Amino acid sequence: MNSIVSVSSISKKYQLPLSNKEVSKSLVNRIFSKREFEEYWAVKDVSFTLNKGDKLGIIGNNGAGKSTLLKILSKITKPTTGKVDIRGKVASLLEVGTGFHPELSGRDNIYLNGAILGMSKKQITQQFDEIVEFAGDQIIKFLDTPVKRYSSGMYVRLGFAISAHLDPDILIVDEVLAVGDADFQKKSLGKMKEVASKEKTILFVSHNLTAVANLCNKTLHLEKGYVKQFGETGEVLNNYLSAMQNNLLEQSFNHIENAPGNDLVRLKYAKLTPVLIGNQLIADVRNSLKIDIEFWNLLDDQNLNISLHIFASTGECIFNVGTQPKLLNKGVVQATLTIPGYFLNDGNYLVSFMIVKDKSIVLFNFEEVFNFEIADFREDTTWYGKWPGYVRPQFDFPIQQVSQKI
Amino acid sequence: MAFLNTSNFNFSNNLELLLILAKRDISVRFKQTALGMIWAIIRPITTMLVFLFAYKNVTNISNISGYPIQIVIYSGILFWNLFANSFQSVSNSILLSSNLITKVYFPRMIILFSAIAVSIVDFFFGFLVYLILAFYFKIDISHNLFFLPVAVLITLFISIGLGAIFASFSVRKRDFLQIIPIIVQYGFFVTPIVYTSLEFYSKPWFKMYTLINPLVGLVEFFRFSLISGYNILSLSEILISIFSSILIFVIGLFVFHFKKDTFVDYL
Repeated sequence: MNSIVSVSSISKKYQLPLSNKEVSKSLVNRIFSKREFEEYWAVKDVSFTLNKGDKLGIIGNNGAGKSTLLKILSKITKPTTGKVDIRGKVASLLEVGTGFHPELSGRDNIYLNGAILGMSKKQITQQFDEIVEFAGDQIIKFLDTPVKRYSSGMYVRLGFAISAHLDPDILIVDEVLAVGDADFQKKSLGKMKEVASKEKTILFVSHNLTAVANLCNKTLHLEKGYVKQFGETGEVLNNYLSAMQNNLLEQSFNHIENAPGNDLVRLKYAKLTPVLIGNQLIADVRNSLKIDIEFWNLLDDQNLNISLHIFASTGECIFNVGTQPKLLNKGVVQATLTIPGYFLNDGNYLVSFMIVKDKSIVLFNFEEVFNFEIADFREDTTWYGKWPGYVRPQFDFPIQQVSQKI
Repeated sequence: MAFLNTSNFNFSNNLELLLILAKRDISVRFKQTALGMIWAIIRPITTMLVFLFAYKNVTNISNISGYPIQIVIYSGILFWNLFANSFQSVSNSILLSSNLITKVYFPRMIILFSAIAVSIVDFFFGFLVYLILAFYFKIDISHNLFFLPVAVLITLFISIGLGAIFASFSVRKRDFLQIIPIIVQYGFFVTPIVYTSLEFYSKPWFKMYTLINPLVGLVEFFRFSLISGYNILSLSEILISIFSSILIFVIGLFVFHFKKDTFVDYL
């Protein structure tokens, strides 16, 4: 009875033209024959209801249908089938500064953007000073300058400041928190929390699970357009994360014939184990990682070592570490590496390793053996932007007051 | 709980948005120009001078159907620019606003109506120049001038109607954008813009011609309101054009209404 947002089995179909067939057709055929399309369901049979005051986090991989769902909910596009029932004033923020015109001044753009987002002129005038103040001191000086002269930071801050003063019943947000510098992010998140504490309903799409965990009481997990799970945030996030961890983390070969490798060495077993703390389900930046490697050595009396590389998902090598060379005989060889906690930053990483003879001759390179992800973990923070860098060390970095005089 | 209005917008908010989009287009038009609003009158005056040059030097005509050549040409151009500019900007409006349409919901029709703002401002400045010309050529401004707002309104109706159709179809197939300049370019010559319909009023196909091209009746209605004693077409002939223009307006808005929900999937 109390539901403010009620979504009943909505689906959205797109038609993708079959491009390769099209080319062979003549012009006449193209005009007169019906083109062939491949159907693609961006969102399929999605249902959920929200009560007044619910904060919904929407998560899922790229292409899971998050953005399409938001577009349907904000009435930008219609679902192919199904029904959406929303009671109350909706404001959707799918980007910051929608409709800003580069040639117009900051002042004009506040009115323009406000009107586009559904504010009346009176509302904007009433809140004008507040908006400008929220956007920061810098903006005041440039209020009558065309926004094309603004820095990208100022542009985004002004856009967010307007959005933050919309005062709708239901707010639909797509990753706008990921904007601006750390200071402004803190301010935006504070504003979001302030909004959240008021009896507002929020639908929030984000890749930042920490922010979802902090802001949302309910979470919708989409996968390939379908609802994978909808429920309490803690439960959904745990399932989502443990599913994500289920990547290629263990490889085991019982028979030497079909094991990867060559006539010199073949892989028998490789496993990456995060050392979890307490009832943790997935590895985050705190955890150390253990990598076990076993291989069949088909050569006698060789001086061998293992050289292991960890790559970022972008392809850069983060580091290379090797075992000591050792005189080894035919049979099974084993090695274990432990990467300490608070070493790798959150992100996606790839592991490759090679067996090297006499410190110089590569016998075989086992490429991309593991592909793993490390989640973020933060305590006592109000900032949820991406932590920069590939490493996340906790060095001793003391700070103290040495004097009270200036 | 109380059943709140599901729509974000009420009529006054819609009107405010329309006005602010119109204001945006107008102020952007003259941003970073040295001459500003003067550009609004340079175009019609240049067009008139070009035809004046051709008529005077090539054919040695100094009046058309008994009216000063400058007055006939300029009043025609005034009409044509209002029609062509608003038709073109309405046709392009949806594609040009794709960044808005894909990011935020508001009634899409607002975009169509706000697109005519610049043409109206241009028309206003062009009209001031006409008053100067009329004074110079001693053309009386009669009480028929009261019909001018009606003529302008009907012209905007047909522009929006045609524009809405082109805007709706060009979202899916950009081919329609190629047709617009053809209409604007050749329509200029097949409509009595730089001549009057008196020149072929007696032709047997004239009735058919006014039916096919409602702009004929409209431009003559324009001249009727601007030039004292100008009375080439009969009331019924003008009424037919007015009626077809309104019909096109209604059809255009219907087409737009049924197409608007699919725009975002093709932008």
